[in-house]
Parts: sequence; structure tokens; C-alpha cells
Amino acid sequence: MAMFGKKGAELVREAKQTLATEDQFRPFNQDLFEQVVKETDEHYAHLQERMSQIKANESSEAVDPNFVGGCAQHRSVLRNKRCLLAYVNARMSKIKQLRWDLGAVLPDDITANLSSTERTFFQGYSEALSSYMADINLDLTVDATPPKDPYVQIRVIGNLGEVLLDDQETSLLPHSIHFMTRTEAEPLVMQGLLEIYQG
Amino acid sequence: MDDAGTSERQDGSGTYGVGGLVDSLDELGTDEVASDVVLLRRVWQNEKCAPEILPYEASLVERVREQIQLMEENIEAFATEIKDDLMLSLYRMDVNRTLFLLRSYLRARLSKIERHPIHIIDNQELWDRLSEYEQEYTNKYCEVLAKHFEQTVLIRLPEQYGSMLKQTSLASEENDMITQPHLNTFVFCRSRGAIGSFQLDDKGDESVDLMTNDLYILRYKPIRKLLETDQIELI
Repeated sequence: MAMFGKKGAELVREAKQTLATEDQFRPFNQDLFEQVVKETDEHYAHLQERMSQIKANESSEAVDPNFVGGCAQHRSVLRNKRCLLAYVNARMSKIKQLRWDLGAVLPDDITANLSSTERTFFQGYSEALSSYMADINLDLTVDATPPKDPYVQIRVIGNLGEVLLDDQETSLLPHSIHFMTRTEAEPLVMQGLLEIYQG
Repeated sequence: MDDAGTSERQDGSGTYGVGGLVDSLDELGTDEVASDVVLLRRVWQNEKCAPEILPYEASLVERVREQIQLMEENIEAFATEIKDDLMLSLYRMDVNRTLFLLRSYLRARLSKIERHPIHIIDNQELWDRLSEYEQEYTNKYCEVLAKHFEQTVLIRLPEQYGSMLKQTSLASEENDMITQPHLNTFVFCRSRGAIGSFQLDDKGDESVDLMTNDLYILRYKPIRKLLETDQIELI
């Protein structure tokens, strides 16, 4: 057996890096994850072995060394459980942030780095948040920073064609620069169709 | 608020100059708007600084939202007639700032719910502090959270270790895996009135003289009651 808890520590380090890398999303480290799960199973198998020996030696008066060994195995299982959950939890908080930053639909390059259960979680979280915002009839994902100016200058990236802005039809041609209210611009910036243009 | 003025404005029959807009926005009850916004600002600040979730300010949120809607309608109605872009822009900015406060307040609450969802569900007092929709959200959130942990990690562990609430079913009798907010953390606060001597612990060894408008750094737990009764505000 490998050193107790070493793989778990690696997994936690991986979690920390996941949180630290800001502009990209690291793929789910299935390999390391599986190793920790496997190690946990081994610890548990050893623990059960110790337990049965403790039962067998019950009659003897002396302190059973199996007891100490069993404790170590038991603590190792608990520790690995913590590490596994911490890793999943760290990624989860990052996934939640994606919902706030990018909206309900994720770009393919990010989706590719999520595990299948994480994709399900994103869907569930996104639905819960969307339905809450629909209930209160207020989009909470805009306005993340205190507004300084109600208008912003933007540059069109994607092809939007004719859109209704401020109840007026405006044609947003690619690369054209416009002045519009922040509340109207923000959702489009989030979708990557516009960018904030600084002189 | 002047009722006659309101109905006239809603007809949209009268022609208003710049002065008309200013007057009519004043008629919205600027005093009332201001005080509710000031109140919302304080509520928002408290919510942001307190380690635990505070009671939902349902009627305040309701009032502020009505006022925002009214102001937006009025700005829209006068946008076509008004010549003074600067004034219009100032009113828009005002609405946007209030909207930001409101959104930020609700966001701060969601983030607290997400930090300790199970603790909140288990604790009736905290649960009652949520709005109806927040309660719905908490339930849904807990569901996806539990499902995710279950399917990713817990199902892979030996049976006795596979609980989300307990470290192990072998030894733990209570749910020992639920995180709780640290109520003993220090917070910055300002006294809103001369409260006088206030005890910080049960024994009475430690007490502090709370003077009007003075700033203090105190532990959250003992001053909770003062926050509930609005005698202090967190900053």
C-alpha cells in the first residue's frame, strides 16, 4: 500500500489549483480520484481484517495491537472521504460561478472538462437559480459591480443584426461601436456578442 | 404623494417641460423613496457583514420594487418629451443604483444559503427568516447538492462511510459534517443610539459603553440582539 493519505493530499492540492486558475477550467482528474477511491477501499479492507482479529482475540487480557492499527485505518478512510468531498466541493463552487458569469448554457470547451455528474449538477443548479429569478421576476446575474455610469460604450463582436434597444430598432453590425444602457449591454456581453469598448 | 398628480401623469395627457419632470418625480415622494432606499442600504450592509442569514425584509423589498417600477415608468414616459439628457441620465442612474442594492442584497442572501444550506433547513428559526421563494430555492439547491455528492463520491465509499451528514455511521451519533457559520467572529459596527453599558458575556466581566455613532469591533454573538432591534448597524 502506498503511503497513508498521500494521494488524498494530492487531490486536495489539485482542488486548490482548480480554484486558483481563473481563466480556465481544469478537467476532472478522474485518474487521481480513482486512486484515492481505491486506496480508501484498501484501508477499509484492512480495517475489517483488524476488526475480525480483534473479535477473535477478545478473550485475551492484553492490549490488542490490532486496535491501534484499526484506528489508523479508520482515520485514513475518514481522511480520504474528506479529501474526495473537498475536491468535489471546490469544483462545485467553481461550476456555480460559471452559471453566474456565463449564463445557463456553457461553451463546449468548458463542458468538455466537466464530469458527467458535474454536468448534471450544473443543469440542476442552473434550473434552481433560473426558477428563483423567475419567481422574483428579477435577473440577479447582471449588475455584479456597482454601476458608475448608466451607459456604456460597446463594440459588436458577433453578428446580431437588427435588435430592439431602448424600444428603438438599432442595427448592430459586427465591429461597429455603440452607446447603450448598461442593463441592456450586460447580458449580451456575457454571451460574448459584445465587448465593453474603452476608447 | 399627490393623488391628482399621479392620475394626471398616468393619462399622459399633460405636456411637461423639464420642470414638469422634476416636479412629477418629486411627487413620487422623493422623501419616501429616499428613506426606503436608505433603509435598504442599511439592511443590505447588515446582511453583507453578518455571519448568519438575517430575517428577510419582505415589505421593504416590496416597497422598493414598487418605487423602482414607478420611477422607471415615469422616466420612460418623459424620455420622449424631455430635452435635458443630463437630468434623464441622472434619474436613470438613481434607479440603477437602487436596483443594484436590491440585487446585491438578494445575492448576498443566496450566497449565505448556499454556504450552509443544511444548517438552515435543520434550524427552524433560520428557516423562518427566508422568503417563500428562498425556501423553495434552498430545497432545490440541497437536492442537487446531495445528489451530486452522492453520485460522485459517497456511492463509491464503504457503506458505513457513505453519509453526507455523518463522517461515519459507526461512531458518529449526531450529524457531524454540517458546517455552521462562525457566530463568534468579529464584526465592525456602529451604534445608532446611546445604548450605554452593554455586557458582552454572561458573567459580566466584559462590558462596553456604546455611544451614539461610535465605531466598535465586537464579537457578533453578543450583539446579535442589538442588531435585531436595529440599535446598531454593521459596517
